[in-house]
Amino acid sequence: MSDIQNEIAIKVKGIKKHFIVGGREIPILHGVDFEIKKGEFVLLVGPSGCGKSTLLHIIYGLEAPTEGTVDIGGEDEWSHTKNWRANFRNDNIGFIPQQPFWIKSLTVIENIAIPAVIAGKTFHEGIQIAAKLIELVGMSEWSNHRPYDLSGGQQQRVALARSLLLDPKFVIADEPTGNLDQKAGEQLMELLQNISQQFQITILMVTHNMDQYKFGTRIIQMVDGKITSDAANKHNYRAMKAEINLTKNEKQ
Amino acid sequence: MKNFNIFEKIRLRFFGQREKVKHMKMSSVLLIGYRNIAINRTRSFLTIGGVSIGIGIITFLISLGFGVQAMVIREVTKNNPTEIVDVSNENLENFVVLDGETINKIKNIPDVKNVEVSANIGGKFLNGEAQTDAILYGMTSGYLKLSNVNIEGISFENFSSSDGIIVTPKLAALLGFEKAQDSIGKEVEYDAVVAKEITDVNAQADNNGQAGKKFKILGIVNDQSKADAIYAYAMFETLKRDYNVIAGQRGKIEIGNIAKIDLVRSQIEQLGFVTESVVDTVTDINSFFSIVRIVLIIFGTIIMSISAMGMMNTLSVSLLQRTKEVGILKALGAKRTDIFKMFIFEAILISFSGGAIGLLGGYGVAKGLNALINLISKRYGISAADFVLVPNAFVLAIVAFIVVLGISTGLFPARRASKIHALEALRYE
Repeated sequence: MSDIQNEIAIKVKGIKKHFIVGGREIPILHGVDFEIKKGEFVLLVGPSGCGKSTLLHIIYGLEAPTEGTVDIGGEDEWSHTKNWRANFRNDNIGFIPQQPFWIKSLTVIENIAIPAVIAGKTFHEGIQIAAKLIELVGMSEWSNHRPYDLSGGQQQRVALARSLLLDPKFVIADEPTGNLDQKAGEQLMELLQNISQQFQITILMVTHNMDQYKFGTRIIQMVDGKITSDAANKHNYRAMKAEINLTKNEKQ
Repeated sequence: MKNFNIFEKIRLRFFGQREKVKHMKMSSVLLIGYRNIAINRTRSFLTIGGVSIGIGIITFLISLGFGVQAMVIREVTKNNPTEIVDVSNENLENFVVLDGETINKIKNIPDVKNVEVSANIGGKFLNGEAQTDAILYGMTSGYLKLSNVNIEGISFENFSSSDGIIVTPKLAALLGFEKAQDSIGKEVEYDAVVAKEITDVNAQADNNGQAGKKFKILGIVNDQSKADAIYAYAMFETLKRDYNVIAGQRGKIEIGNIAKIDLVRSQIEQLGFVTESVVDTVTDINSFFSIVRIVLIIFGTIIMSISAMGMMNTLSVSLLQRTKEVGILKALGAKRTDIFKMFIFEAILISFSGGAIGLLGGYGVAKGLNALINLISKRYGISAADFVLVPNAFVLAIVAFIVVLGISTGLFPARRASKIHALEALRYE
């Protein structure tokens, strides 16, 4: 792969989507175009029902677009078979859903190991990789608990570890802080931010929470299935961080 | 790929390059299945319990069925070796006897090892005032031996070389002896009527139909099937000497090759005789028990249908509870076959553990019952018997059945699970 191709991580072109409900065609996305560069932390924002999640599912390879293409790492995702996309997701894309969903009968660390198990590794091999990631998200002591015993914030940290297991090029997150309180949400976002910077992972995240805008390097705004604005974040993380430190100092 | 085999070549030729799809390891599939069974303890206990009770009852009944059948056959053939064919002339339309010529004909049939003969004559026993009609059998020592008769008061060898008789207890009583043993050593008279067909025509004038032959009672013969039988045994030689008997009405034929028994029998029957073999009885016993088995199979099928329905219910509920699990697995890259395998192997695990517990449990209970009955019968002086038997074929059939049960009950839920779309998990509640 050339450097230029490397540079553009995700290329969404002319995506349209409509659902047929009771014989009626309901349009959701009216032609969406954007490119995401490697290492970007993109926030996809907009009101409920504007098509953010649908767009995310199309990019993640779960929901077929009515029109348009999604090019990830040089591959036109929707020109391949379902099994190919399943393999591709497993290999390249980490996923953090709004509610993490666990295999109830498995422990926390076994759940983190699941993407490796799906990839054909044994649980033992998967757990060895998972052990490093659970440490990274600071959840080591909960390894052998059942995931549903954990708090919402803890569960999302574990979900983050699960999404990073197979060293993905991209992470797609669908309102991962949607069910968390302010503090837990903030902590998760910081963790995501650090990991994104540390491992140069491209992140595309849907969020409602304006407080979290500061974590993104770029914000794409959607209204009624169209992009209304797409710009680099003026209040980027470093600036915000400096501001936070300032506030903290003031308080002290 | 180095290990390219011929099938792969054919497949490539007709279907093209196979898409390289990663699948979950069988060990992982089984672990998830096992964990899911382990975490839902009560439900799994009830489901596996249902299957094991079903299989257990079937094993219990079948092991008793086969065991009792084997025991009955064992008892029947103990005193009647299967290689012996009984020959008689009960065919009234064609009166035939086992004379020297016929015996030679039979001996010449391939696979016939030996022919032993018994003759019988009718007549009346007299002891002072007491008298009674009774048949006197004259048998060769080989015939006597094969008959496995139970003689008291004289050894088999001594009787074989004697010219006395042995009588049944009932006959002794009718002849005025208070106890059967009292008759031993006493002489009784016998007025005989001998059929012409079995005597030497040339010597007939001398002593056929003679009244008042005297015989010494040497022992008691206990009839194994009828306590009040009335007859007496003498050696064939004695009848020959006293009544010129040279042919018998009954014979025992020893067969060299048991596989040829039907052929030998039909050849003997060609000579006009009627043949009987313990094989006939064994066939009757077997056909009776096969009816018993059919009844057991019907019962078993009903029981297993109930267990199977329980299992299917469990798996369906398990599936409904795990829709989101399946969804997230698919979202993370699991394929339809992975999900299908997860559910089908969970079903097989349930049926397999249920089957194993049931098989061992059913056999154990049957063995326990056997031991208990033997313990009780020992107290009453009855010899112990083994009436529990699980044939290997039955074990194989049960194993096959368990796999079929697992697959058939798991198939529907597994197919449904594999069709769940990843988005099912991601559509928020």
